[in-house]
Amino acid sequence: MAEQASLSGLTPDQAKEFHEQFKITYTTFAGLAAVAHLLVLVWKPWF
Amino acid sequence: MAEQQIPKPKNPEDDWKVWLVLNPATWLMPILLAVLVIALGVHTMVFSNPAFSW
Repeated sequence: MAEQASLSGLTPDQAKEFHEQFKITYTTFAGLAAVAHLLVLVWKPWF
Repeated sequence: MAEQQIPKPKNPEDDWKVWLVLNPATWLMPILLAVLVIALGVHTMVFSNPAFSW
């Protein structure tokens, strides 16, 4: 049976490959945001 | 016809399947722009508080 085309048109392998990069970029973004929040917390604790 | 049973996803191991629905070539930039709009909104709100402004 031909592989079922996905709604997005990506193959499972392409989706997994893209997701690996997406996780790296998102983790970097979240890490930088955490550092920024720590700096603000040191500057002016908001709780 | 019997209701097609779609197995519940197990996350985070099935997270990648979102890209079988959303094509990143189309949707990555709108997703990033939505994050930017939310971030700008939150920053504007926080900056409007004199305690967190300079």
